[in-house]
Amino acid sequence: MSLLKPFSKLPGLNTANILLVENEEQFQQKLADTVVLHEKNVNVNVRLARSLPLPMENEESRPRIDLVVFIIHLTSELSFQSAETSLKYLDPGYFLGKVCFLVTNARNASVPPERLVSVRKLAASLHCPLLCAEDQTTEGVTTAAHRLLAILKVAAGLVPMATGLYLSTFTRCTVPSDIDQQNFE
Amino acid sequence: MLNDAVIDYISLSRFKLHHGKARCSNPLPVFAGVIFFPVMEERNSTEKTPLNNVLAQRRSKSYRRSMRSCVEATHLAYTSGHLTALRIPRSRSAPKSRDITKQVDPDQVALLVKKEWQLSYVTPLYQFRHTQLKPYSKQLSAFIVSEKQQGLAIEVGQELGFKVNFSVVLGLAETDKDAETVFIQILSKQAFAAKDDAQKVVWSGWLTCVNGDLDYLRSLPPEFVSLPLLCTRGPESLTVLVKSWFEKTFDCCFGPLGINSTNLQWLASLWTGCHPTINIQYLKLVWTLPTLPPMDVTYTVDPQDAWELWDSVRQVDTTEDSISIDEVTMFIKGLQSHFFRHFRIDLSAGSLMQISTALGSSHHSGKIKIASPNYIPTILQLLTECALLKMPI
Repeated sequence: MSLLKPFSKLPGLNTANILLVENEEQFQQKLADTVVLHEKNVNVNVRLARSLPLPMENEESRPRIDLVVFIIHLTSELSFQSAETSLKYLDPGYFLGKVCFLVTNARNASVPPERLVSVRKLAASLHCPLLCAEDQTTEGVTTAAHRLLAILKVAAGLVPMATGLYLSTFTRCTVPSDIDQQNFE
Repeated sequence: MLNDAVIDYISLSRFKLHHGKARCSNPLPVFAGVIFFPVMEERNSTEKTPLNNVLAQRRSKSYRRSMRSCVEATHLAYTSGHLTALRIPRSRSAPKSRDITKQVDPDQVALLVKKEWQLSYVTPLYQFRHTQLKPYSKQLSAFIVSEKQQGLAIEVGQELGFKVNFSVVLGLAETDKDAETVFIQILSKQAFAAKDDAQKVVWSGWLTCVNGDLDYLRSLPPEFVSLPLLCTRGPESLTVLVKSWFEKTFDCCFGPLGINSTNLQWLASLWTGCHPTINIQYLKLVWTLPTLPPMDVTYTVDPQDAWELWDSVRQVDTTEDSISIDEVTMFIKGLQSHFFRHFRIDLSAGSLMQISTALGSSHHSGKIKIASPNYIPTILQLLTECALLKMPI
């Protein structure tokens, strides 16, 4: 199985590489443009994929991927399933702070709440952060891009005294034991 | 030692409050105890309250409190009803065909079936009395007439006369905690009708609660009546007027209730499961796929095939009475994979919009039609659960 390995290649100088994995291939393009636009100090390379495993042909030319982001649209069940199957092709070393989940349409009333619950459970079991993003407005895309850049810079080792694992202990998704119950406050 | 006494006091009082029995008429010492030590509580609860106590409470079925919100809630704990939680159900009992005409008057049943209703959720009604239906009818008709006549300088007389009928549909409530269903009809003379023509029903609606979550209903203060599901049929202007009258009179809130794809899948499976008893004639599912332009897929399944698929999914526990969400998901996945094999279109990429069988149909936007009176309680129970879950508190 062709696992994507986090440390098998040398890092570039002042460079960070992020991989956006999304089954629908809509949000990743906007996000990629915004991410590259907003980062001035670091060379950010954004790679887009529909699912893992990545094609073998690019294996040599592909740089070291610092952060893998799975974009899940809660409006379709297929999005979640495709992200789940892609997880198998990641080396376990990635789950120490180099994987992030990004969901869209979390506030949508027509989305069954069980889907967000299962994404949360998945993210919590893998100790990864879960971000919610709004993909229809430019502010939403910009906010998501800023958050991803913050995590990316830590995962690429560009922030002194902080590593991906250290950050992930704060940002990782947690699930209260009674998550199956509706919140009444 | 004083500290220990205080701690025990506080843990005791927290137990009381959590069980939703807090009343302002508590004996004074407990009252003082709770108010006097809120700040101390914060520190104490994290250090000294035994961990297993709190955890035991969290595992109890109805109440959810994380440690932090435990503390915040005790300040506000005097209105019970805030401390209850509802579960998204993972299994349901299989629907049994019941001749509901034994419990409910057949004429009233005829009013409910074979019509398409638009659903909304309602928050609990304050001081709604089932005995006061006649005054309510008069007030509502006066309200509608006055709203309709706003802006008209001249008294228009009979043409705009609205007559409202409130009635109770006895027998739909399943448990003794459910409030009885209230049926509302608005009759009016058609414009330009002859003098002797009878008034026709222009709008009808009903408020119901069937098998609502018992813990939630028990935790409501006694002045509140919970009828969380509102089904309406008729012109939107009248619906808005009725809702605003209810909001003014009973201090409640209305909101649209959609039926999300999980619940549509439940309905599809429950109806398919009824096939041996009553022929469903077809199982039709409508999906919307997010292509450009959006594509609608109508997938009609022969009832016998649907039944065989459902039966094979239920192979493991056909003796048990309950259906779990996994069986429903497998059933729908089976249908989707069959479609994929033939058309190479994966329906799970889209969203389920509508399902219909001969027993009824249901749309994602909150429309439901029940064609057969035999399975009314099951459908209403599912819809009541949806309404209770959707309700903001």
